[in-house]
Amino acid sequence: MSDFFRPATLAEALEIRANHAAVPLAGGTDLLVRYRNWAGTLPKIEKPVVSVGHLSELRGISVHQNGAAPDLSIGAGVTYGELLAHPQVPELLKNSIWWLAAPGLRNVATLAGNLCNASPAADAVCALYALDATVDIAGAGGTRRVPVEEFITGPGRTVLRTDELVTAIHLRPDEGGVVFYQKVGTRKANALSKLSICARASVHAGVLESVGIAVGAVAPTIVRSRDIEATLIGRPVSDIAAHAAEVVSRYEPLVRPISDQRSTAEYRKATALGLIGRFLMERLTG
Amino acid sequence: MKPTISAAVPRVDSHGKTSGDSKYLADYYFPDMLYARTLRSTRARARILAVTVPDLPVGYFYVDHTDLPPGGSNCVEMIKRDWRAFAADLTSFHGETIGMVVGPDRGEILRILDAITVEYEDLEPAVDIDEALALKGGPIHGSDNIFAEINLKKGDPDAAFANAARIVENTYHSGAQEHVYLEPQALAACIVDGKLTIYASTQCPFYIRHSVATALGYAEDQVRIRHTVTGGGFGGKEHYPDVLAVPLAVAVLKTGKPVQLVLSREEDMEVTSKRHPSRIHLRTALDADGNILGMELDTIIDAGAYESSSRVVLQRAVFTGIGVYDIPNVRAHGRAVCTNSVPADAFRGFGAPQGLFAIEMHMSYVAREIGADEDEFRARYFARQGTRTITNGHVYEQVMLPELLERVKRAADYDRKKRACVPGSGRGIGLSFVQHGSGFTGSGERDIIKARVRLRRTESGVVEICASCVEIGQGIDTTHRKVVADALGIPYTEVRLLNTDTDLTPDSGPTCASRSASVVGYLIEQAALKLKARWTEPGLIEVEQQYAQPEEVQWDAETMQGDAYPAYSWGVNCVEVQVDPVTHEVETTGIWTAYEIGRALDELVVKGQIDGGMIQGLGYAHIEKLERKDGRFLQTTMADYAIPTSLDYPSVHSELIDNPYPYGPSGAKGAGEVVLDGAAPAFAMAVQHAIGAPVCRIPVTPEYLLEVSAHDPVHAQR
Repeated sequence: MSDFFRPATLAEALEIRANHAAVPLAGGTDLLVRYRNWAGTLPKIEKPVVSVGHLSELRGISVHQNGAAPDLSIGAGVTYGELLAHPQVPELLKNSIWWLAAPGLRNVATLAGNLCNASPAADAVCALYALDATVDIAGAGGTRRVPVEEFITGPGRTVLRTDELVTAIHLRPDEGGVVFYQKVGTRKANALSKLSICARASVHAGVLESVGIAVGAVAPTIVRSRDIEATLIGRPVSDIAAHAAEVVSRYEPLVRPISDQRSTAEYRKATALGLIGRFLMERLTG
Repeated sequence: MKPTISAAVPRVDSHGKTSGDSKYLADYYFPDMLYARTLRSTRARARILAVTVPDLPVGYFYVDHTDLPPGGSNCVEMIKRDWRAFAADLTSFHGETIGMVVGPDRGEILRILDAITVEYEDLEPAVDIDEALALKGGPIHGSDNIFAEINLKKGDPDAAFANAARIVENTYHSGAQEHVYLEPQALAACIVDGKLTIYASTQCPFYIRHSVATALGYAEDQVRIRHTVTGGGFGGKEHYPDVLAVPLAVAVLKTGKPVQLVLSREEDMEVTSKRHPSRIHLRTALDADGNILGMELDTIIDAGAYESSSRVVLQRAVFTGIGVYDIPNVRAHGRAVCTNSVPADAFRGFGAPQGLFAIEMHMSYVAREIGADEDEFRARYFARQGTRTITNGHVYEQVMLPELLERVKRAADYDRKKRACVPGSGRGIGLSFVQHGSGFTGSGERDIIKARVRLRRTESGVVEICASCVEIGQGIDTTHRKVVADALGIPYTEVRLLNTDTDLTPDSGPTCASRSASVVGYLIEQAALKLKARWTEPGLIEVEQQYAQPEEVQWDAETMQGDAYPAYSWGVNCVEVQVDPVTHEVETTGIWTAYEIGRALDELVVKGQIDGGMIQGLGYAHIEKLERKDGRFLQTTMADYAIPTSLDYPSVHSELIDNPYPYGPSGAKGAGEVVLDGAAPAFAMAVQHAIGAPVCRIPVTPEYLLEVSAHDPVHAQR
């Protein structure tokens, strides 16, 4: 391991990023596992490391009444434990966090860190897809905000440049409605996902008003199809449930999982499609 | 009424282990200590043409077979000399030890290891049972890749099959299992007063002494082994520490300094021994009324590249192969097959879990095939006192399976739940019936182990137990003290179990197979009674006790006929499950058990065994998937190889029925294995009811259930 930086401000952190292309470290629950080394030796990180989890600019969860659309802003240093304790964090995101790792890890792991890790199996990131999250990025050239689907470009790949940092993640505060989260892991707790589904919907007078369905660990990036969702909006949920098999079949080409040490492609595919079916048939109709 | 020995007392090791005071091997530091890391083969099967080591910095050493002292030999002698201490010109599995880099700075050791190049000439490996039996790439062992073969006959199986109205047959598979002891393999060695001294996290200090002395060409008393607090073993620290100890000893001789060898979790998972995968084919001959006339067993276990204790594991798998049943005519064929993979060795149950899974699933399958109720069908064949075993020995004790079954049924509300269960409904409940032979198989205690214990009453009145049974988390430190205290009528706090030190404590054999409680415990009890008779003598008193085989126990090791075990522990298990029709995940909703283990030496210790054994067995049955590709394990981290957490299974309901065994301390038989044996068949039985299709393989993963159910995700919910 080479240099380790602990800046006092976000500006300083961005400067270090710009000058050293240092790897950002927040909770370290992914980074230090990935670069673990023999006991008694330092982690095998070739690049400099910049600690960011402690920066006050990245701490805290806040809600802004942003005209008609309230906005929940989650700082990049916010841990899963803090998210679970906040009353306005959407239930779907909380559900995904409950089944993620274990309390000790959740007390240090951050949502933004998990996002930047860009694993298609990241449980909470799957919820961000379903919840239309956007990501604030700061760099020497200023700030920008991108939708989560554009932020992640492939397994382990994001649009974040080496001189930038994620500063916050934005969501709509919890808005009730139908929420469906199911994780299929190697066991119940402290397990990595074989696949997971995060879905939410609002139904009014039996008609679907909005919907978000995201499936994790079944393709290079988390799967969400706004095209398929658009064909569902405005339809009676009873009609959707009756034609669930047809809707599910439209997801079939998007679900392209691999076989690995945790599961098989066949299982992941069959189960992911089955869980989309479960949402449409069992959960949407209440 | 005087409380029996079974009444729980505070465990003597609980404070140290829960407070962090206990000193494990990695906590030891010796002045000038060096660290060691192993250079391992990266081929499943290859000739090693050259190992090129760069110039080493001062204070760093490369250790390999050329460093063995004159008179030594490049071997690890466990039961026989089959392991090489260092792969020299040939490697037979991925991860085999080639050499070791030793030095003061671990970062530098890693850099040296990176700079070493090994030149291989690849050979075609045989990585599974089929490839090995087909002699792919030529034989690895002997001419046929068979380490051990067993042929047994009870009654007249030829006539049984000739007269059969119907024959029902099926094949059952079980996977490998990783021990996941909390403390990885760990040893340290140094020269103390001119003597090679090895500190070890181990189940069997005398095994290490024997292996090291043999490899170095030393007399056994030129090597001293000192046991350190051991964080679990489960069989994984029975023989495997020998594999580490020999190169470590060579490193100490070469460097003249203390050397520590502690495996990382990942290295431990990649290279240490596992439970033997098995493939068992069972055939049952039935008459026209559906009565069993006879049975044929064909048992194959995958032993990996070296034999280790596979011959004995195979024996137990076969001897336990007809489970708790009295089958009149049996033919059994068993083979332990050599493959180019990490050697398999002891693991809690030692072959019995494989055999019991197969026979239980098969009895259920036969019952279904003939339209019988699987529970009534099985109960009809329960062994009884006097029943002839598969090796034509005897069941001497009263068999209390009916009583155990009654207890479990009542606790589980079984009959009602079973009636309510609709096959394929997603809910299921299942029973398993198991037995586990106490202690070593055959005459191993008499002919090989020859256990000896010593008790010493010191001048201050404290009684010291000198033996080689070591505390590895199973509670023997507490139960042995209780046995002595009970015999002498003194508080157990006035008894000490000395740390095993091969220079100071007699060899009472390895810590395995529950023999510490049942066999050595009995010796200790006998010694305590001798001590009691001399109690009024002043000053220091020492007594010894030597093992003697119970007279009625007859065993012929050549023909493998007679009493393979002097006594058995018995268990009935019930597991209830719910299967998700979409994800095929299995939720265990209830676990009920009852055991006959002679008598519990401590109810809390036994409860710990039951809870841990059942959950470890359910892990084996359900989520502990250990696959191999090209001879390498695919799951080598705790993230990928999942063992159960407290959220995965509900609490275990357990009951005990006393049936004191005359040759056990206070009547105790073994409890450590029978509590694991029944988990897999009970779980698989429940799952097959829930899904309405037979289960013939463990682990019962959701992926396997998808295959079994041939589930169509799109249309299934219409």
